[in-house]
Amino acid sequence: RLMPVRWSRYNPSYLEPEVKTESYQKPLEELTEEEKEQMELKAVRPIKAAPPTLSSSVFSDPMISKFINMMMKSGNKVLARSLMSQTLEAIKRKQVEKYHKAPENEKETIECNPYVIFHQALKNCQPIIGLSNITRGGKTYQVPVPLTDNRKRFLAMKWLITECRENKHRRTMMPEKLSQELLLAFNNEGPVIKKKHILHKMAEANRAYAHFRWW
Amino acid sequence: QLDRGCALHMAARDGLSSVSSQNVPAEKPRAVFHTSESDPAKHTEQHEGRLYNIPLEEVKAVFPHGLPYRFQQQIQTFNEARVMVRRPALELLTYLKGSNFAHPAVRYVIYGERGTGKTMTLCHVVHYCSRQGWLVLHIPDAHLWVKNCKELLQSSYKKDRLDQPLQASVWLKNFKSSNERFLQEIKTQKKYMWGKQESTEEGRPLGEVVDQGLARVRSASDAVGVVLKEIKQQSHRGSFRLLVAVDGVNALWGRTSLRKEDKSPVSPEELTLVHNLRKMVRNDWSGGAIVTTLSQTGSLFKPSSAYTPQELLGKDGFDTLDPFVPIPVPNYSPREFESCYGYYLERKWLQHEKGQ
Repeated sequence: RLMPVRWSRYNPSYLEPEVKTESYQKPLEELTEEEKEQMELKAVRPIKAAPPTLSSSVFSDPMISKFINMMMKSGNKVLARSLMSQTLEAIKRKQVEKYHKAPENEKETIECNPYVIFHQALKNCQPIIGLSNITRGGKTYQVPVPLTDNRKRFLAMKWLITECRENKHRRTMMPEKLSQELLLAFNNEGPVIKKKHILHKMAEANRAYAHFRWW
Repeated sequence: QLDRGCALHMAARDGLSSVSSQNVPAEKPRAVFHTSESDPAKHTEQHEGRLYNIPLEEVKAVFPHGLPYRFQQQIQTFNEARVMVRRPALELLTYLKGSNFAHPAVRYVIYGERGTGKTMTLCHVVHYCSRQGWLVLHIPDAHLWVKNCKELLQSSYKKDRLDQPLQASVWLKNFKSSNERFLQEIKTQKKYMWGKQESTEEGRPLGEVVDQGLARVRSASDAVGVVLKEIKQQSHRGSFRLLVAVDGVNALWGRTSLRKEDKSPVSPEELTLVHNLRKMVRNDWSGGAIVTTLSQTGSLFKPSSAYTPQELLGKDGFDTLDPFVPIPVPNYSPREFESCYGYYLERKWLQHEKGQ
């Protein structure tokens, strides 16, 4: 079994692998000029090895796989994946139960799809502006700084997981805790949203130091 | 879509009519089949592959402890209990309807691979029998009695047997809630002594024995034994029919994972509950039927690919159960799969767009 090396350096002529099966099923006539050129290039150039996390299944989602990687401890991906699937199932169960017990007019407002809930909750948890420590003249100041998309996603997921791991009762299972947190975040309530608001307030309070930033 | 909606609303309004089975048109074999036929006695070949509804009060009364955990979660999520009518269950029901109760009890063993629906078939049969008014002796999972027991007491009745007060009291509680009226009708035929002071006289209703077992937890397993013995003796008189439904019967003949205080392993004969159950499963009584299920998931020390009666029961079990009617349970047929799939779609259980 070959293990892919982290930060492996390929020759720049190597192209990324194409995973989606729909792109291979299109007949030749439907392709535009660009796509035909792309295909000819692929026939000639070598292609990088696909990482094991990249799957061509319809059910895979890059955000979900990133979240699973963050939840993983000591390389136990099997456990992390099963926990994630149990979380999604728990969310679906709670929402479907609520849906069936609700009166007719409220039925459309209840969202049952766990993927939609997950993405919306993550979006609600992402901070808009972050703080970074800048040292000037011996003192360290907390300077408000814009964040990249990757950093925002990372912070949101990190807060969710730490919140679940630390602030809950010891005996509750992770899927239960996570499903509760995700549902609260979906409705803009809960401790993670509070943390985001606190961060925003700190950034607003430290507005004066914004000119320390040089990038 | 409209047809399915009609079928469900009619099922909610009138309980036992079979009108909606005519609503489902024959030209659409891929449509969902629901039946509003909630009486298992009227299920026939025509209803195969359809899901029938059990009202929630009946579920609580008939199955205090019998349903698998995932099915209970499903009931909670969808707010209704829907069981699929399948061919092995229909077979069993025809045998039960045509069986002669003067002959010794016939034994049926339901076997099949993991996850094919043996426990659900058993529950279907139990529901039918309770509707018909039989006395149902339902043991949810015999594997729970031979593993993970926290307390083992020395039996006061026989010296080398071991009691299990926890499991016995739990089972007595559930038995009481499911078979209330029989406990008042059946009378004991012998005097039983519980320890030095308490005793139950002849001719008292069985409910007293059950209450005694629940009150004095130490003698709960003996109470269970007494209940089983009385019921067996009185069943051939014909005043009531008896159904013994045991799930995971291969636990009665395997090994246990329990140990005595000197760390020597316990064999199943040394447990009072298992000993009494084995007496029930022998077919030396008449006036009822014994329906059992093999189960690999809870079994101890057996490989996960074993599912035939021979492998799971072992030599002793197979010899004891020898003249039995085997009922194999296969996986869902394409038609059953379609109806199950349609049911989940309708109940909004399949949420991913690609899953639809």
